[in-house]
Formats: sequence, structure tokens, C-alpha cells
Amino acid sequence: MDLRAPDAAAPARPGGPADAIDDIVPAHVVTPASDRALADLLAEAARAGQRTVIRGGGTKIGWGRRPDGVDLVVATAALNRVVAHRYGDLIAIVEAGARLVDVNAELAAHGQWLPIDSPFADATIGGILATNDCGPLRHRFGTPRDQLIGITLATTNGRVVKAGGEVVKNVAGFDLGKLVTGSHGTLAAITSATFKLAPRLMSSQTVRIRCVDGPQAASFIAMVGASQWEPTSVDVHAESHQLWVDLLLRFASTPDAVAAQVRDVVALFGRTASAAVDVLDGEAETALWRAQVGSVWASQDVVVRCGWLPASSDSVFSALREIESVDGVRATLAGRAGVGTGHIRLSGEPQSQLRAIERLRAGRPRIDHVVILRATPMIKQQIDVWGSLGDAGIAMQSLKRAFDPAGIMNAGRGPL
Amino acid sequence: MVNERFLQACAEIVGAAGLVRDPADVLTYECDALAHLRVTPAAVLLPASAEAVQALVRLCVREHVAFVARGHGTGLSGGATPVEGGIVISLARLNRVLDIDLPNRRVTVEPCVTNLEITRRVAPHGCYYAPDPSSQQACSIGGNIAENSGGAHCLKYGFTVHHVLEADIVLPTGELVTIGGPVADRPGPDLLGLVVGSEGTLGIVTRAVVRILRKPESVRTLLAAFDTIDAAGQAVSDVIAAGIVPAAVEMMDRLAVRAAEAAVHPGFPATEAVLIVELDGVRQEVDDLFAVVEATCRRCGATEVRLARDDDERARIWKGRKAAFAAMGRVSPNYYVQDGVVPRMRLPEVLARIKDLERRSGLAIGNVFHAGDGNLHPLICYDARVPGETERAADVAAEILSYCIDAGGSITGEHGVGADKRCSMSKMFSPDDLAAMVTMRDALDPGGLCNPGKIFPTPRLCGEVPGPYRAHPLEQAGVAERF
Repeated sequence: MDLRAPDAAAPARPGGPADAIDDIVPAHVVTPASDRALADLLAEAARAGQRTVIRGGGTKIGWGRRPDGVDLVVATAALNRVVAHRYGDLIAIVEAGARLVDVNAELAAHGQWLPIDSPFADATIGGILATNDCGPLRHRFGTPRDQLIGITLATTNGRVVKAGGEVVKNVAGFDLGKLVTGSHGTLAAITSATFKLAPRLMSSQTVRIRCVDGPQAASFIAMVGASQWEPTSVDVHAESHQLWVDLLLRFASTPDAVAAQVRDVVALFGRTASAAVDVLDGEAETALWRAQVGSVWASQDVVVRCGWLPASSDSVFSALREIESVDGVRATLAGRAGVGTGHIRLSGEPQSQLRAIERLRAGRPRIDHVVILRATPMIKQQIDVWGSLGDAGIAMQSLKRAFDPAGIMNAGRGPL
Repeated sequence: MVNERFLQACAEIVGAAGLVRDPADVLTYECDALAHLRVTPAAVLLPASAEAVQALVRLCVREHVAFVARGHGTGLSGGATPVEGGIVISLARLNRVLDIDLPNRRVTVEPCVTNLEITRRVAPHGCYYAPDPSSQQACSIGGNIAENSGGAHCLKYGFTVHHVLEADIVLPTGELVTIGGPVADRPGPDLLGLVVGSEGTLGIVTRAVVRILRKPESVRTLLAAFDTIDAAGQAVSDVIAAGIVPAAVEMMDRLAVRAAEAAVHPGFPATEAVLIVELDGVRQEVDDLFAVVEATCRRCGATEVRLARDDDERARIWKGRKAAFAAMGRVSPNYYVQDGVVPRMRLPEVLARIKDLERRSGLAIGNVFHAGDGNLHPLICYDARVPGETERAADVAAEILSYCIDAGGSITGEHGVGADKRCSMSKMFSPDDLAAMVTMRDALDPGGLCNPGKIFPTPRLCGEVPGPYRAHPLEQAGVAERF
């Protein structure tokens, strides 16, 4: 195939070890300069049956099954502009290859932001949407999917298509933006996205409650849920070798409203003599949250994502302890307790890690859909990273065939 | 096709009582709330279970019969308008609340449970269901899912798509599947997000799990009167620039206020623009920010600011606002409700164009709108007894939509495209955009039987040549920064 797209920002080059996905080095890497060029490239790749992977910042490039081979990596690095920031309308249009941190630095000029937290400094808008990856802020602001109001896609038939719009309220046409969130690049390439924004937080404090054990943490989570507090984040941090669980409640509002809620929280939970409570703000608070989202990624160990019903958090805490005592695997959980989802890092021997994953998957229905995000190629060859798509898989496969009849998009790797 | 044999097979699925074919009875189903569009269906079926819905769809697929799902028929865009020679599948019998799971804040319902019923059931526990379309007493959750319904409070709380977690759906090909899930972050594309707002073209929802919220500790509402719409608009801009996201921001102009006053007597001031701002949240936050909102209104020239002192006063304000549409009947024999969206910052210029149109057309236009998100609801008054006036009103409504598109907005903020606006779709989307959406619909509905003729323009109806497509008008964004 001819990869020398005339307006490519960088010519096609052979892939090298730095481009490897798992242990597979892609044949070519191309960086198109425009959405049009990207669509042309995809059409060419589809005609030639080239197995294609879209790459943003590369921070999550290893997520997915181990591929048999990769013919083409399409990098979005040249599509990195904030196209417009309409602060009066609280919206921004950003290209897929823009880094979240850079986007937020620009939006800050008018006191606004895209309230998504990523553990990865180089994470791009496109990658964040394709994985719908986010962190503790989702408790209040939802996932990237919830903040998306419009999308531009490059499709394998060489088209650049838009859906949604540039206004927050809009129900015209199919919402293709929702469909591609979480699709892991299996349907089309995201080239730009329009988001509704939020005003930056006025002031913020975090209460850390060290619960003596899982059951106590679960009961505190239920109390927070039943209250009329409006925390920005309700997170938990747990280690399989420790009995205690840290419950992290972040409040962001006017200074007086933060103070009032923090006072009430400390009064309620501080009364329980067994739980230690402290309040963090400023740099200590920033560091705490950075550690919370980064903790599971700190080493090169296996990381899985799992979901649970919010009232079932104690099942997750006890699963961690079982993984430690039975499988001999050290497990670290950083979870969104209010939503019921989180990341678990599993440290240990590969065979033990496999057993731990299987143990978590056997936890249904209380622990649902355990997806492997990071693992060695060896582990990924022994256990499917995605697990079941359920009976909706038939409809998803129909859409996959419609979008990508040649089956090139993230071939062999994605959930479809 | 629908013949005796087909109807017999239907009757075996739904029982004799579930088959409506008497012409007088079928008439009830010939339109939804877009009443000027009427098609008589060949028959109406009232299944009482998901399995019966599935069996009907399978039968339709086998016999090549088009089917249209219907909830409570309150839709304003003709999404439930029947298809000539097709059947209507009414979900009216699927109206049970199946489960209330308070610890997990989830409620499981059948599709014809009304929107307000969910809140009614969980209110004793201090919870509520957030999306609140004006028709919430009557509209069904199934219909809300089809239309991605919003409401006055969607600026802060989002739309139906943000509150539905899981749905059972009979696909157009007859499979009954579960999409989404009660637990967050299922792997794979967000099929549920696609289905919500697809206006009944991608299947029939037979069960849904929705998220409920804890009632906020405090709700405060104010009403401010302004001499000009621009001054009221400036107040809204300043509130948002101050970093405040109100639960609701509504505006009504003089004609809309006069109509509401005639109908429900909310005691609104007779002025050019009435602004309603509501904040909710923890008490201290609401008090802090409410003071800012009040001061902003006064600074922007409010001639009067009324603070609702209690729930009764707040309810009276909302009664006036929510009655505005129906109240138009008090000041005009007929009226047409339009639904369009403009970027909030473009509101003054679009309202000026509407004012000019009002002068030129000779038809009075009242304006009620969600000022926080730029969702306009111009109410075009006309008298159907005057020859040509009905057509003129339709032309005026269409012209207002073109203003919305010119300003970079949308042809519908909440009522949907349905049968009403399909010919306007090509003014908002390019042929490639529409082709991608149609490809997707065809992938799930290869037979073209599931609510056909809705959303997408067809050459037969809209002419061979699609209307002028305009690129997103970045260059017109006067208030935006360019990079």
C-alpha cells in the first residue's frame, strides 16, 4: 500500500521497538496531518487489509489482547489543537491528539476545565474517549462519555463524519460519540471532540478516614450515600495485606460550603473511635489524589478494572484478602466507591496472578466484568483480557461489520 | 403484509384483548402529540410481556410488516406516528415498577411507567429521578429513552442518557438482549448510549434500570424582571462567568408571561423578560451562590427580584413556567411550538432575528426558553381559520430553525427529529454524516421495519437535493478564542 499521504506531517516510517504493542513491532507508523488525511489513510489500509492501531499518547497502547501482528500504527500526534474554547458557552472543541493536561492548561485561562483525571501525563483526548478511562472526579462529573457533546470520526470508508454538535442540548441524529467511547479504536478513529466544560473548583478539601476493616468502610460508604453531602469524589484505597481501608471524601465548593461539609463528616466519623480521620488541603491534598490515581500503575504489575454494585464494596475488600491469603498475590485497590468501579493491581508470580484474575471473575454477580488492562503477553495469551460482552455482543458485532467491514481496526486486540 | 392470517398470529401472541383493529379504536393511535401528522395503522397491539414484544417483532420480520413502538404518545416530533400499512406496538401494559434498590440507588421499570411515577415511588426515601420533561406526569420512561428527554434541570443534571444504566431491548431483528448494565464500566462500545435518543429506530425497550439521586439539601429559586431580554441574557452570562452552574435557568418574554398569567395566575410581573434561576445543593453552597446570583441580577438592571420563600412560592413560579406552552391557547386560537438550540452566547442575535421575523410575518411569537443551554421554544401564534395562516406559521417555524443552524446550534434540543424535522437534518449534517448514521441503522435493522421514515431525510419526502450544508461556523464565533 502507498502510505505516502501527501500532507502527512511525518512520512511513513518503519516501526521500531519503541512502537511495540506487547512484544509485536508494527510494520509502519504514520502521523497524518489532518482528519482528511487520516480518513484517506484508513481507506487505503482497509483496501489493503492492513491491521491498524490508532495511537494517541501511547499511555494505554498495551490495553487489549496480544495481537498476532500490527501492520500500521496511525499516530494522532499532529492533531493536537484546541480548536475553540467558547468559554461563554462552556464548551471546547479539541483534536484527538491533544494531551488532556495541555487542554486543561489552555482552558484555565478562563477559569474552566474538562473535569477528567487520568493517571497518565501524556494521555490524549482520543485515547481517553476510546477507553472512557477516568478517575475519582467521575463521582461528580461522570465519565468522559458523559461530558462529550459532539464528535468527528475518520472511518474506514475514507469519510470524515460528525455527530452531535457544539451545543450542550441537542438530540438530532444518532449519538456516534457515545458509541465510540469505550470502543477501543475498533470502529473508527476519533479526530476531534466537543465537550461541555465545568468551572474550575472554587476550593477543595479531602477527608481521609482510615476505616478499621472492610465492613466498616462499606458501612461508611453507605452512610455517605444516604447523606445530603455532595462530595466531588468518594474513593477507597485498600491493600490486601492490611486490614484497614482508606475512605477518601473530597469536597469542592465555596470555601464555607467545603468547611461545613468537612466539619460534619469529621464529626460523624470522628466519633467512631476506631477510625482515624484527617483533613487535607493544598499541596498535601493534590499529592494524595495523585498517589491515589497513580498507585496501581506504579510498578509493571498486572492491573485489572472491575465493577461492582455500590452496596457490594465489602465483597471487593474480602476478595482482596482472599487473593492474598489463597493465591499469594499482593493486591492494591484504588476504587470509586460511590460509583462501584476501580482498578486492582496484582503483584506476584504469573501463575498466581492468573489465579487471582480467575478468582475475581468468579465473584459474579457481586463483582462484575473484570477487564485486564495491563498484563504481560504471556498472561494475555492464557486468559482473555475482555471477558464476555453479554448477549448485546451480537448487536455490537453488527455495528462493527458496518463500520469496519475489512476488520482492520484494532484487529485482534479490541473488544470487537 | 397485514392480513387476516397476520392478525390471527398477533392475536395468538397478545390475546384477543390485546389486538385493536376496530377503526374507531385505532384512531386513538393515529398520532402522538404532533397532532397534525396522522397515519392510521393497520392494527395496534398491546403486548403484556417482553417475550410478547419479541414475538410480535419476529412476526413482523417474517411477514415484512413495519412496526412503530408507542409509549404514552406525548412526543412532540411524531416519533410515534404510525406507518402506512404497519402496526403500532403499544407498551401501555408494560407499566410496572419491578424493583426499587435503595442501597444501590437503582430502580427497575417497565417502559410505560411514567417519568414522575419513579420519583413518586422513591420520594418517601428522600430520592428522586432527575430528568424532568414538562410532560413528566404523562410521559413514559420508554419514550424518554427513545427521545433522550431532558427537562428544565438538565443544565446541571444532564439528560436521560446520563440516568439510564441498563435496558432490555428487542432489536429490530427480533433478538431480546440486555445493553448497558447496573454495574459501571462494562467492556465494549456504549451501545446503550447509542440507543438512548435513537427515537425508536433501533429497537423496543422492554425494561430499564435507572439511577435515582438523593434529594439536595437545599433548593432556592428566584424570579427577576428585566426591561429587555438582552439585560436578562447578560445576567445569565455573568452568573455562568462567575463559575456557577444553576440547576435551572429559564426565560420568558412578555407574550409568554401574559399567556401564563391568563392561564394559571402565577403573579409574574408584566415585563419584557422574566428570568427564573434555581440553585440546588448543600445549604451553605446554595446560600453563598444565591447571593451572587441575586446581586448579579440587580447589577444587570433587574427591575424586580423575587425570592421564593418556601416550597409553595417555588412551586408557583414553576407552575407559571411549565404552563407557558399550554397557556398560549389563552392568547391565540392556534400555536406552533418550535424547539431549536443556539449557543448561549448567540441568543441575543438570534432573538433579534426572531423579533424581526415576527414583524415581517405578522404572526406573534412568544419565547420561552432554557436560557442556560440556549434551547429555544418559540411559540408561533396563528389562526387556522384564516386561509394561509397555518402554512405561514409552519414557514416561520422552519425559518427559526435556519437561524439556529446559522448560529451553530441544533434543529432540536429535546423534542427529537421524528417525522417532523427529518428534512432539516441535511441542513445540520453533511451527506457523509447522515450516511454513517444510516449505515448504523441498517446494520441493526436490515429489513428497514423498525419505525421507518423517522429521523433521516428521504428523497421522496425532502427532494433529491439535500439542503445547504454549512460547516460548523467556527469563523462566526465572535466570543470564542481562536487557536
